[in-house]
Amino acid sequence: MLIDLAEETTKVKHDALIFGIPELRITEASRTLPGPEDVDNWLEPLVQQLTKPLTSKEKRSGKWAPENPRILFEGTLDDAQAFYQQTENLPGILDAPFSMYTDGLPIIVPTEEKVKEMLTGTSHKPDEIITVQRDNEVGMDTIRIRRKKGEVVQFMPMYRTATVEQVAVNAVMAGCKPEYFPVVLAIAESGGGTGDGRGGGGSFVVSGPIVKEIGMNVSYGRGSPGNPPNITIGRVGRLLWRNLGGYKETVSTIMTYGGGGGGALLHGEYAEGLPPGWKGLNEELGFKKKDSILMSGGGGAGGAGGGGQFWMPGVYRALQKSGHGAIARWLDVKGIPGPHNFLDYLLDGMWACREGGVTLVMIPSMAKDLWDVGFKTKDSVYEYIYKKSFEPLKRYRMRGRPDFATNGWMGIERTSGKHWKELPDDYMIPVCPDPWSNCIILAHGEETVLDRGGGGHGQGYSIDAWR
Amino acid sequence: MASKKDAIYQCLSPVGNQEPVDMSPIAPRLKSLDGKTIHLSICGEPDITIPLEKRLKGDYPDVNWTVKKTYNINPIQLSEEERKTTDGVILGVCW
Repeated sequence: MLIDLAEETTKVKHDALIFGIPELRITEASRTLPGPEDVDNWLEPLVQQLTKPLTSKEKRSGKWAPENPRILFEGTLDDAQAFYQQTENLPGILDAPFSMYTDGLPIIVPTEEKVKEMLTGTSHKPDEIITVQRDNEVGMDTIRIRRKKGEVVQFMPMYRTATVEQVAVNAVMAGCKPEYFPVVLAIAESGGGTGDGRGGGGSFVVSGPIVKEIGMNVSYGRGSPGNPPNITIGRVGRLLWRNLGGYKETVSTIMTYGGGGGGALLHGEYAEGLPPGWKGLNEELGFKKKDSILMSGGGGAGGAGGGGQFWMPGVYRALQKSGHGAIARWLDVKGIPGPHNFLDYLLDGMWACREGGVTLVMIPSMAKDLWDVGFKTKDSVYEYIYKKSFEPLKRYRMRGRPDFATNGWMGIERTSGKHWKELPDDYMIPVCPDPWSNCIILAHGEETVLDRGGGGHGQGYSIDAWR
Repeated sequence: MASKKDAIYQCLSPVGNQEPVDMSPIAPRLKSLDGKTIHLSICGEPDITIPLEKRLKGDYPDVNWTVKKTYNINPIQLSEEERKTTDGVILGVCW
């Protein structure tokens, strides 16, 4: 017997089919009733389901093997566009239309010729199954999954697999050029932005020579309209989630995440702007400076919006040029020209309404300001942020995520080695779990502002492996 | 000769491969719960699972209830040995 929350039954039945027990018996609990009252409503029927004889349908076995023809449509380009854009109405989203093959936008029609052209962007064979190219570990909080080189990548939420050609079809549909394809394949290797099925399209940072080769916009305005690689590669994650993963809101996933619109988050790192001694993301993740890599799952991923003090760019300039303005007053350096350590000001209130690491997207002159005040490596910045994040356990207990992240406070607190329930109220807990949870990404630009978010360091995937 | 607008193209599927699945019937039901070992696999939703555990143990005292709990979404698996000695499982709350 399985107990779910009422509106999840469509999704649960869907999963039961994928796992080969389509007639799994389900009892529906309430999202709103108090627990004792809710349990009272369905306890007896629940227990009866353990003894109620099986129906003939429940006794049935067989094979579920949905067809997936390689050629999906044959016709004119206009008819093909209409075919790929067809929608179905989903009751779970109040009968709103939901695209059957796209992210909701028009696409480039994936003709045989276009897909063949896309495949010139890689040396990998069209029928090769997407596999992990080197050992890695993915996941969040206490849920971590180790993946071995050669392991077949499964696209969630339907645990599907894909060939290089099927990824190429989606890349064509997104509007990518063949030279972007190795990046797209690395995105596919990472799971294609599908996560555990509620992926949202992913969060990706590209680091290394390929950033320049394909002309990514690495400026602070990297998400703005106009740059083909950023926009089209950024779109791929959503198509892979829909088509390879089989995402269908309220049908193949519960309606928890994936909101917010927009495309996948995609950055290209501006490594030329790093101060001496600061490593690029490729080197931070264990690759070489000459390697082109994709960082997936970090770098400003959703669900962990930034906090801390904001400022107008001129206020920052005034601080560093002459020691004037609000930041100078806060730092008590009025009238003293910079460089000044602006991290103290930035981090004030950073964790007021969130936990976790801090991802900063900053321009070169601000990185240089940090370098000038003594942060000779990125690691020293990460360590500094981590040390600033401690707060008393009494306050930490009031936060939203630790109930989940600590498995209901049942485990051991890492910094003390003691059980959570043995620690005194004034024990200091790091709200940022470790220095590596922080991340700096350089963007080109002159305006002295910076983006802050969560995500930290994700997992690195070789783009070169997919050339 | 047909114009480009009228030309016929073969267009490929963007959909991933769904591996074939062997479908199984659900497990045979028990004749009675008395004296049987029923496992309660708890994941999350303590406001439901705490009263549920209390009620099951109180209302069905002749059942040998075993319990594993986690706050996370992935249930704690039964060992091979435990599977051999367990007659039924209630799993939840799934979310």
